[in-house]
Amino acid sequence: MKTNLIKTASKLALVLIPTIAFSMTATAHDPSMHVKKAEKADCSKMDHSKMDMKDPVAIAMMKKCLKQSEADKKSMKDMDHSKMKDMDHSKMKGMDQSKMKGMDHSKMKDMDHSKMEKPENKTNQKDAHNH
Amino acid sequence: MKIVKLLLLLTVSGIGVAATVMYSGVVNVAADEPHSDLVYWLLEETRENSIKKAAQVITVPDLSEPELLLTGGIDYEFMCSSCHLKPGQIESDMSIGLYPAPPNLTLSNEEHIGHEHGDEEQASRKSFWVIKHGIKASGMPAWGKTHDDERIWAMVAFLKRLPDLTPDQYQVLTAID
Repeated sequence: MKTNLIKTASKLALVLIPTIAFSMTATAHDPSMHVKKAEKADCSKMDHSKMDMKDPVAIAMMKKCLKQSEADKKSMKDMDHSKMKDMDHSKMKGMDQSKMKGMDHSKMKDMDHSKMEKPENKTNQKDAHNH
Repeated sequence: MKIVKLLLLLTVSGIGVAATVMYSGVVNVAADEPHSDLVYWLLEETRENSIKKAAQVITVPDLSEPELLLTGGIDYEFMCSSCHLKPGQIESDMSIGLYPAPPNLTLSNEEHIGHEHGDEEQASRKSFWVIKHGIKASGMPAWGKTHDDERIWAMVAFLKRLPDLTPDQYQVLTAID
């Protein structure tokens, strides 16, 4: 009985081990191509002047972008900026804490984050001017 | 009596030849080896006529509602675009690897070579039928098993506009809310 079990287990191992090893080496040329990412609509490229507002495509795009901006506004409103006083800026990537002294976080409720430049971009621009 | 014997002999030899072909393994089923022109034509004609016949009784609803483009767009992006491509894309792993190759749906019906699409209404009927029922041994799934008719019609509405869409328009319409 025991010998039979061992025999069956070794047979299974003989089949399974090469199969698993083989399947693990069979990777696609670029795994990132196979990942579907849920993206938000990029409404910044919409040119309203060129849009035919009677066209279902234009109407659908407007609906999508309006819905998205309303959702963004809502999520910004829901953020409690007054509680951000004790934020630890040192743990935030790319932020210059020395420039944040004396900032009044309570006044940041109506800030439009979409118009803010990343600190890295500013550095690059400075570099470009120096050349 | 002679004719009966001859017919019997032909039937038996026909079955014999078919069984030999089946069990000998001489038929190459590899997807990277195309059919001969004759086999391709036979399969294509059979498929097209079957779809045409099955779809002729379908009534096409109003597909001009903008909301349909939003529902259909998201479904297209997640269920179809890897094989049938998106604006600005020429090929994908799936479009290259599948045989028969899935049609590039970013091209208009007129740009597709090989078979007739009929008028706009016929094309919509056929698209609905194919999405709902799928096509045997082609890689096209029957989405009707998991999606209701309303959602499939939304995909048909999106397909109708897909060839006109720019990559930017496609991105907005297919993005998740």
